[in-house]
Amino acid sequence: MSLAAEFAVEVVSAVLCFVLVKFMFKPYELTKEGRYLGLPLGFAFFGIAEVSLAIGIFESLNELRFLSLVTRTFAFVFLATTYYFSKEPTKNSRLFWDVTFSLLVVALTTLSLLAIRGSTIGIEVPTSLSVFLRVLSLICISYICLHTLRSHIKAPEPTTIWIPLGFILLGVSQYSLLIWAGDENYAYGIAFVGAMVARLVGLGVFIVVSYLSLHKTKNVNTDERNSA
Amino acid sequence: MLNAEHNSENIVLTRIQVKINVPFDRLKNYLSELNDLGLIENENTLKLTEKGRQYLEEYENVLDFMKRMGIAYR
Repeated sequence: MSLAAEFAVEVVSAVLCFVLVKFMFKPYELTKEGRYLGLPLGFAFFGIAEVSLAIGIFESLNELRFLSLVTRTFAFVFLATTYYFSKEPTKNSRLFWDVTFSLLVVALTTLSLLAIRGSTIGIEVPTSLSVFLRVLSLICISYICLHTLRSHIKAPEPTTIWIPLGFILLGVSQYSLLIWAGDENYAYGIAFVGAMVARLVGLGVFIVVSYLSLHKTKNVNTDERNSA
Repeated sequence: MLNAEHNSENIVLTRIQVKINVPFDRLKNYLSELNDLGLIENENTLKLTEKGRQYLEEYENVLDFMKRMGIAYR
């Protein structure tokens, strides 16, 4: 897989993520509950991660590659936090969400600044931090997969299996990237290509499900009017 | 409830009040608010305006979306 192909994949992934932000904003728009902000934020940071990586590939900047890793990890953290707080809210859970959200923003800002400006102030990012971030991403994705699968099992319907599948594909992508990162040569092997494919298919699943559910009734009404 | 009442010919406010379990004066406040937002035709009925119909469709779509996303909403 050439650099140009990797660049193209990152750009396409970024576009898909930013389209998803519009869809994922709907629950917050309807409910005005802050705990649903993690959905659009998660996919927005995912998109920012892809943009950073694309620019990092194009300009050969390692700082942007690390920034991409940080923002992608926090994307999954925001998504996992949203699912964790998606239960019936109580007075304390709202406060807990606000505190957690604030801490995540502070942590993300700190790590992002470290990624971009760390080398200029003599701070080297340890390799163990990169591994930690990748493992954290995997843990968050695994939690989301379990949560969505549990929701599906509680009320099994054909329409509710696709989102768990999408998250499973994102999880496979992250796991493949973890294997690829463990390769000292960073060769573009099966792990890397598989990660790219799984990510694109996973994002595609989200796009299709989001579009179909948010435009469903309008299509039905159009058909009813046409048949009348 | 809005959809069901919109489709029925005889809308009785006390029946709605019992269904949603709120005091009558608060129900009147809600209806006034819906009327001000242009979602119902007048405060004595629950006849939806076109805007109200669109809002209800969008509301149901988003609830379905949240269900598919595995996010519970009351």
